[in-house]
Parts: sequence; structure tokens; C-alpha cells
Amino acid sequence: MIFLLMVAGYLFGALAALLFARGWVARWLTAAGAIIGGACAVTLAVAEVFGFDIGSFQIIVVLARRPWWLQGGVIQDPAQPLSAVFLGVVGAIAIPAALYSIGYTRAWEGRRSLRMPGAMLNLFLLSMSLVPLAENILWFVLFWEGMAVTSYLLVMTEAEEPETVHAGNWYLGMTQFGLGFILAAFFLLLPPDGSGDFTALAKHAATLSPGLKSLVFVLALIGFGSKAGLVPLHVWLPSAHPAAPSHVSALMSGVMIKLGVYGVLLFGLRLLGGGPAWWGGLVLTLGAVSALLGVLYALMEHDLKRLLAYHSIENIGIIFIGVGAGMMFLSYDLPALAVLGFVGGLYHTINHACFKGLLFLGAGSVLHATHTRNMEEMGGLIKRMPRTALFFLVGAAAISALPPLNGFVSEWVVFQALLGGASIPQREVAVLMPIAVAMLALASGLAAACFVKAFGITFLGIARSHEAEQAREAPVSMQVAMAALALACVVLGAAAYAMVPALGRVVAGLAGLPPASAVTVSWSLRVPLSAPGAVGQISPLPILLGLALLLVAIPIGLWLSRASRALRVSDTWGCGRIAQTPRMQYTAAAFAEPLRRIFAALYRPTEDVSIDFHPESRYFVQSIAYRAHIIPWFERYLYDPVIDRVIAWAARVRAIQSGSLHAYLTYLVAALVIMLGLLMLWGS
Amino acid sequence: MDSAFGQLTVLGSSLVLLCGLTLLWRRGSAAHIGAFAAQSVALAATAGLIAVVTGSRELWVVAVILLGLKGILMPILLKRMDRRFGSPRELEPYVNTATSLVIGGLLVVLAYIVTWPILDVSRLPTRAGMPLAMGLIFVSLFVIISRKKALTQVIGFLALENGIALLAMLGTYGIPFIVEVGVFLDALMGFLVMQIVIYRIQETFESIDVEQLNRLSQ
Amino acid sequence: MPLPTGYTVAIAQTALALFLAPGLVGLIRWLKARLQNRRGAPVWQPYLELRKLFAKEVVVSSNASWLFRVAPFVVFASTVAVAFLVPVLAVPSPFDPVGDLLVVVYLLLLGTFFLALAGLDPGSAFGGMGSSREMTVAALSEPTVALAIFALALGAGSTNLGQIVARTMADPAAAVSPGYLLAFGALFVVTLAENGRLPVDNPATHLELTMIHEAMILEYSGRYLALIEWAAWLKVLLFFSLLGNLFVPWGVATVLTPSALGWALATLLAKLVVLAVVLAVFETRVAKLRLFRVPELLAVSFVLAVLAITVSFLVR
Repeated sequence: MIFLLMVAGYLFGALAALLFARGWVARWLTAAGAIIGGACAVTLAVAEVFGFDIGSFQIIVVLARRPWWLQGGVIQDPAQPLSAVFLGVVGAIAIPAALYSIGYTRAWEGRRSLRMPGAMLNLFLLSMSLVPLAENILWFVLFWEGMAVTSYLLVMTEAEEPETVHAGNWYLGMTQFGLGFILAAFFLLLPPDGSGDFTALAKHAATLSPGLKSLVFVLALIGFGSKAGLVPLHVWLPSAHPAAPSHVSALMSGVMIKLGVYGVLLFGLRLLGGGPAWWGGLVLTLGAVSALLGVLYALMEHDLKRLLAYHSIENIGIIFIGVGAGMMFLSYDLPALAVLGFVGGLYHTINHACFKGLLFLGAGSVLHATHTRNMEEMGGLIKRMPRTALFFLVGAAAISALPPLNGFVSEWVVFQALLGGASIPQREVAVLMPIAVAMLALASGLAAACFVKAFGITFLGIARSHEAEQAREAPVSMQVAMAALALACVVLGAAAYAMVPALGRVVAGLAGLPPASAVTVSWSLRVPLSAPGAVGQISPLPILLGLALLLVAIPIGLWLSRASRALRVSDTWGCGRIAQTPRMQYTAAAFAEPLRRIFAALYRPTEDVSIDFHPESRYFVQSIAYRAHIIPWFERYLYDPVIDRVIAWAARVRAIQSGSLHAYLTYLVAALVIMLGLLMLWGS
Repeated sequence: MDSAFGQLTVLGSSLVLLCGLTLLWRRGSAAHIGAFAAQSVALAATAGLIAVVTGSRELWVVAVILLGLKGILMPILLKRMDRRFGSPRELEPYVNTATSLVIGGLLVVLAYIVTWPILDVSRLPTRAGMPLAMGLIFVSLFVIISRKKALTQVIGFLALENGIALLAMLGTYGIPFIVEVGVFLDALMGFLVMQIVIYRIQETFESIDVEQLNRLSQ
Repeated sequence: MPLPTGYTVAIAQTALALFLAPGLVGLIRWLKARLQNRRGAPVWQPYLELRKLFAKEVVVSSNASWLFRVAPFVVFASTVAVAFLVPVLAVPSPFDPVGDLLVVVYLLLLGTFFLALAGLDPGSAFGGMGSSREMTVAALSEPTVALAIFALALGAGSTNLGQIVARTMADPAAAVSPGYLLAFGALFVVTLAENGRLPVDNPATHLELTMIHEAMILEYSGRYLALIEWAAWLKVLLFFSLLGNLFVPWGVATVLTPSALGWALATLLAKLVVLAVVLAVFETRVAKLRLFRVPELLAVSFVLAVLAITVSFLVR
């Protein structure tokens, strides 16, 4: 029943957008539909994962009377808990995003109709909710494509900007590219009787040769990896996510790319049932490389949303490090550690959805207020937009893996899983684990540096432009949405002792994994490790309470010890200079400069300085323009050559379109003759 | 392997390897010569330790020769060479320092992977240090190919020789005495030849930047 | 052990750490002065500095926001929280299940994060410069720390501080194993980097070319500055405690009797003095590195940590 309510909610929202198109009615109803749908999704997911029985996945009564091609399609009973986790993620981020859109789309009044964006938003959410629930190839691909098309249309909302069109083209191209590989993987798994059911596929897969299984896995990894944003298939992410409206960016970055993770887990664990160690090693390596490259490129960005998009690549890398480690342990028959790896990956999926959604909504608020995404034109917004700044700070702290927030806890779980690498018998392979640990640590350190830059340059200091000076706080609906996600970040961290065992139960049963043996000892998270008697243990909730207690105790201590309480406001220390202008503070490029020089071998930075001297004397400067570029390695050396070759080849093929009617008629006749010939051959 | 003897030999081997890594880290010739001297002394100490425990007189002689020849004599000769030919300017290596160090670390990991099969077969208590000696060999090779100054390349070659000697000592408690002495003499000969060659390079190009040798083909 | 006593000891050990921290830094400064042929301020000078700063008025920049005023408390709170987790006197502490070595590292990162933000808040160029450099150094020392933790955890089976100490106490030969020594070397370099000591940063300078930590806190004064300085000194003491008690754990009390605790206190003071001497001699010996040479030093510590891992993989 709740499932039907979810579908109905989304459809209602879409319909409302189509009918009402403008005015506050449209905004509220569209959002309401999405919120209802999201709430149902979360309810279903929580019930399934935490084991409550609300018996609502069954819609067999409704479907039983449908034609054969609709039966056995969606949702089996009992539903896979893994699907429930991803469904929950969709719903959990849908609610704040929809709430946010109420305030955000008010700015479109008079300029843009809500018809397309509102309808597509709801349909996007609907298809994303149904992808994890699909149990058969047809439905899966249908909802997957639905998700792709609706998100493309959402990205193209602001199609008057040329970079949006560019982003949309890239996005569409990469989606179709990925779909091709996904379809190929599915078709290779098709059993001879043609049934597309996942259970049938899994049974058939067990009979395939290892070589074929590996091929299927690699195809699936490429297809789903391009959706997730794994390096080197990530190039669409940094242009598509910023181009979309902010709540859509939050959904795409927080939810959609996670469905790539779902796809890899679907193939790796459920359909193929685990495989040789090199599968896990490949996933782990790609994850580690994505994590590091993602954050390195994020450091050099001064467009706030592009920076966040690159960080999504980094966090997908972290998720895949967990998944890859889990797969490796699975193939070496170390089930406890495998569960730990998968749980780390899934937990980070949920956490990343929360804090990345929060950060994108915050960036959207800033964009809404200052009409620019360029960090170099912001500054001092913490005084103009205090609540947005606070929520963004929570998100920044979460993504930098600072305890006791959720980002830290899931990274801790992934670290503990990698620590178990010492148990792998094959030492050449075990060496991968410390390397992954080092790369993960470096990525998380650089992420902290990057978010000091992002938060500091955007919100702190003095305003660098007129818009930043005049910025106003975001509307209430946007603030509430961000507050909800910030609260979720804190709660998910503190509730780790409940989340990890629940996620362990989710992973149990897949590919023969045992139920998680994580033990909770009153508010603390305790995971047994490989050496006998060894446990890893942290307690995020006491850390949170302890820090809060100390934060209160220290001022009280100062007051009790009668320290001076005098305070005076004065100018910033200027070394004797009289005036302090915004130009004298650090810029984003300046902040990242040491790291740009240290990693110059990767970035190959080029600088372009042009100086306008004062006409009277060369000792005085009127203006200096500084431009710094870094080489986008993948675009220039991987994609551009491929694209050029494809275009050259296509130009040659275009010769078929000669424009002559006779040629076209000849093609028709030739095709007809060939088909008849083939029919005759087969018939005999 | 967990015995004190085993631990101490691994400690000695680690010190030898660390001196080799210092060749990648520090840039001046004086630092390189000092690192080489320290490496030879550590190697001699390790040889002496093995000699004490196994009671082999030959290893004692090897230790003393190591100390005298490579710990004292060669550094003096190298310093003299540096004074005559050394450029006050430091030459940038082909690979920058931080990257060289990371590559050095990875080479040591590679050495571990390469020597693990041997470790499973060997029964000696000193076998734990063999991967470190192998690592030193790889690192020295890397020093030779990535540094531009001829003097540094010579030191890299001598460190390579140290690594081979260490590997022999740890793996088989030393090679036959005659062979060891022969190797020493070879190294000495090679060193003297290199001295002459560097003198010629300096005469022709006024610097000992090995890249200048490219000009010979023009 | 009865619960109240355990908690009492834990709180007492944190208070002790807070109390000793200024003295430790005073000792280091006095030793450096003596080594440089100066008389030097007395060892208790930092206490007088704290007393002076707490009595002074705070001057806050007009460009600063609430973050500037909250940051000193966050930094101090996170460092004190770490003091509860690090085994200073007795092990296992009742706070052992709360956090392990990874929590310690990331709590310190929390303090650094807020301090870096506070550097950017007043909108001065010094602060921006300090923040930028501090975050660069912190980010680049993360892989070393992670690998050193990994090396220690390989021996003990987990990253739990109590278990690491227990394992070393149970197996003394492990303490001189090359893996531990290499990890010690790596962590020593990280100590220098994280605490802003030479050759990474000079704690006594105020020239913009040579500051990292000092540049971030340039705008602070009065009680805020007192809190930040005290937190920085506490961090030095905690790093020394980690170096001492993880690698040379003898003397740490395993039972909570007065004699064991007294002995633990004595050995702690001895270890702190030894490490202070080592640091003072080292700082007098080396000159400060250019900022772009610091990654090379951190790469050396990274290689030491890699070696520690590979050697530990084998000795197991």
C-alpha cells in the first residue's frame, strides 16, 4: 500500500507541475508530491532494513491481472534489503530537495515555467526509486533510461547558457555509452529460455565459464562505473552537476551516482555471486585512483559547484574502495572482513548522500543570493547568511571526515576493513591494502584542505564583490531543507552503533556472506577484526556529547577563574597599513597554490600574468591579470582523440547520405533483396 | 627470526637501506659522500655482528676491509674528487625529490615482493633482512639512472656494490673469501677508472653534468 | 577495577597533562636557549604567559564573525578530548572504547580545521597564508600517520590504543623490531610537522615568510590566544606521550594502585624530559626548511612508514 502511495505521490507531483506551471500553487504541489513519495520510500526502506514488518512490498494482487509482459517485473516478495537501502537514500534526499525547490524556484517566477522542471523532477525521483526495485531486465533498463532522460531534461533547464548545452551533450553521450555496456552485460547473462528475471539470471550465471563471468563483470563495471563517475569515466560529472538547478544537482550527486554503486553490487554480488580476487582488486584500484584524482582536481576549482562535483568523484572512490576490499576478502574466504568492507561502502553511500546533498543545497543558496558560482567573487557571507553558513559548515566538516560526524564514521569502517588486508594469504595482493590506506588518508587530508578553502573563501573574510555585499539569507523552505540534512549528518554519525549492524544484515545472504557479527555495547560501535580477540571500537555518540560538554565547560571554567571578559572590536592587523580592502585577503587560487606547486607534475600548471603599467612610470602598476590553467588530462589525452576519431569516421560514413533519391531507392531495394535472401537461407 | 640476532641484523640492514634512501633525499655532494660513508660503516658493523655470531674469520676480514676501504678510504677520495670537479651549483635531478622518495619506497615494496619466495625457502635467522638488501640494489640503480651529476652516479654504483655484498652476507653468511676480495678489487678498479673518466669529462665540458655527454653526438 | 576509580584516574591524568604542558614547552625553550649560549627564560615562563593572557582584553577584528570567537574553544575542546583518549598514565582507560588512534588523529584534524578557518575569518593576508600552508602540511602528513597507525595496528591486531600498549608490554622484543623503530621515526617527523616545530615551522618567529602556525593565530589576543597556545602546548605533550607510551610503554600503570600510578608518573616525566632534550637538540641543529622542501621531508617520513609496514608484514 505504501508503495502505491509512493508512486501516486510522485505522479501527483508531476501532474501538478504540468497542470499549474506557475505560481505558488505549482511550486507547493509539485514539492508536496515529491515529499510524499520520498517519505513513503524512506518508510519502506527503514522498515525493510531495520526489520519491521509492514508487508507492503507486495503488489501481486494488482499485477496478477496484468498481461504477461508486466508480470514478474517489479518487486518480489521478500524484497532484497540491498534495494531497500538505495530506495531509502532516494527518498531521504528527495524530501529536503523537494522542500528546497519551493524556495529556489520562486526565483524563476516570470522567467521560466515550472512545467518541465517540476514534472521531470517527480518523474526523475520516481524512476530512481524504481530502479533498485526492478527485478527483471526490462523494467531495470526502462527505469534506468527513464532516469537518464529525465535527468538530462532537468540538466537542460537553463538551456540558454552554452555551457549547459555542452554539459547536457556530454551527459547524454556518457549515459548512452554506459547503457550500451550495461545491456551487453545483461544480455550475456540471459538464460536460454529468455526469462529476464534476476533470479533466473543468477542461476544461469552460476553455469557460465569464469572467463565469461569476468567479461560480464568488466562490462557491468564500465557501464555502472560511468554512471557512478569512476575515473576515467568521470568527465561528464564536473560539467553536468553544476549546470543543473541546485536541488537537481543535490539529487544527481547524492543519489543518482549511487545507483551506479547499486549496479556494481547487483552484478558483483547478487547476479554473479562473487568472483576471483582481481575483480575486487580492480574495483579497489579504480576507487583509490578516483578518490585521489577527484580531490586533486577539486582543489584547483574556484567554481563552487564544480568543486563539489569533483568531491563526489572522490567519495565514490571511497565507496568503491570499501566495495573492492569487500569483494577481495570475499574471494579469499574471509567473510567477516568482507562484510566490513561492504558495510563501509554502503554506510558511506548513505552518508555521502546526506552531506553532499547538504553541500549542494548550500551552494545553491549561495548561488541564489549572489548570482554567481565563482568563489573569487564571494566572501563575508557568514554575516549575511548565517544559517546557510552554519549548515554548510556542518556539511564541510562531515565531508572532511571530522569526528563525530557521519563522514568520519564510515571512513573509519573502511579503514578497519583495509586493516584486515594483512590476513590475505597472497602477499603480492595484500600489498594493495596499505597502498589503498595511504591513498585514502591523503585524499581525506586533501579534502579537509579543500573545504577549508571552499568554506573560508566563500563565507569568511570580506565580501569581494557587490553581490556578495548585498546577499540575503535564503528563504525559509531552503533553510529547513538544509537544517534537516545537517541534523541527519549528526544523527547518522552518532547512531553508528545501530546503522552498522543493520547494514550488515543487509549484506548478509548475498553471495553467501554471513550476517554481520558486529556487536553493540551500549552506544558504541564495535567490530570484530581478523586477529582472534581483536576488536576495533569507537563510540561516536560519547565523542559528540563529550565535545559538547567540553565546549560548555571551558567558558564556565574561564568565568569561574575570573579571567578577563573584556572584548574590543577593532581593525584587522594590517602591518601599519591604513586601508584594508577585500583585495588584500587570500583568494581561492592563492590558497591552493602550495598544493598546485607540489603536485605540479600532475597539474602541469601554466600561468598567464599580464600587467598594465601606469602610463607615467613603469614602477607603478594599474592592474594585473593572473590566469592559471591546469591540464585536464583525461579530456585532452583520452576523450578528445577518441571523439576526433569518431567524428572523422562518422564524416566518412556520412557519404552514404548523398541526397540523391536514386541512391536511397537503391538502398531500399538492396536491403529488401538481402533480407529475402537471408530468409531463404534460414528457411532451408 | 624473532631472535635478537635476527632483529639486530634487520636493524643493521635497515640502516644501510636508509643511508641509500638518503642519496635520493639530500642534494649536495657532501651529503651524498657522508651517506655513503655511514652506509659502509653500518654494513661493516652488520658484517662484524654476523662474524661474531657465526664465528667466521673471513667475515671479520671482510668487515675490516669494508670499514677501511669503503668507510674511510673511498670517502676521502670522493671528497677530493668533489673538491676538484664539483660544481658549486646543485644540479636538478631528472625526477624531483619527493617523487624520487615515493618511487624509492615503492621499489622497496617491489623488492619485498620479489624476494618473498626466497624467504620461504631460506632457514637462516638473517633472512628477514634480504628484502632490504634487494631494495637497496633497486634504489641504487634508480639513483644511477635518475641523477645528473657524475659523482652521484659513482656513489650510486658503490652503494649498489654495498647492496650486493649485504645480500650475500644475509643470504649465505658471505660468499667465498677469494670471490669477496676479487669483488673488492673490481670495485676499486672501477672506481679508479671512473675517476679518470670524470677528469676527462671535466676537461672537455668544464662541468660534470652527465647531460653534456649528449653533445658528443653532435 | 571499580568504575569510579578508573574515571577519576582518567580525569586526573587529563588535568595532569593540562598542567604539565606549559612546563614541557618551557623546558624545551630553556634547553634550546642554553644550547644556543643564551640564559633563556625560566622553565615556568609559559605559565606566566598564560596568566598574563587570561587577564588581558581581547581585540577582535571588525571583519571577524562568530567562528573567530568559537574556534579557540573548539580547538581547546578537541585537544582536551584527545587528552582523555591518549594513554598518559594508566591503561586501559575507561575511555578506551570511545576512541582509538584514528579518532585521535582526526580529532586533532578537527582542531586544525577550525584554526585554519579562524585564520581566514578576519580577512587578513597573514591568516590566509598561514591557513593555506597549515592545511597543506596537515594534508601531506596524513598518509604517513595512517601508515604508521597501520604498522602499529598490524602488530597489535587493532588500532585500539589499549591493545597496542598491551601488545608491546607483552612482547618486549617487538619494541626494538625494525618495524616499530621505523614507525617511530616516521611519527617523530610527523610530530615536528603537526606541532609546528623546526624544520617545518619556527614557533618563535613572526616573519611572514617563515610562519605557519603563528600566522594563523596572528589576530588572536587575550584569553582566546591563551586557549589556543595552551592547546598547542598540550598537543606537544600528547604527541610525546604517544611516542613514549606506544613505543616504550614500560612504566605505564596497568593497575590503579598508588604505587603503580606514582611509578607511571615518574616514568612519564622521564620520557617527556628525554624527548624534550632530543627535540631541543634537533631543533638547534637544523635550520628551517623552505615551504616547498617540506613535502620532501614528509615524503621521507612516508617512506619510513612504508618501510615500517613492509617490515611488519614480514615479522608477523
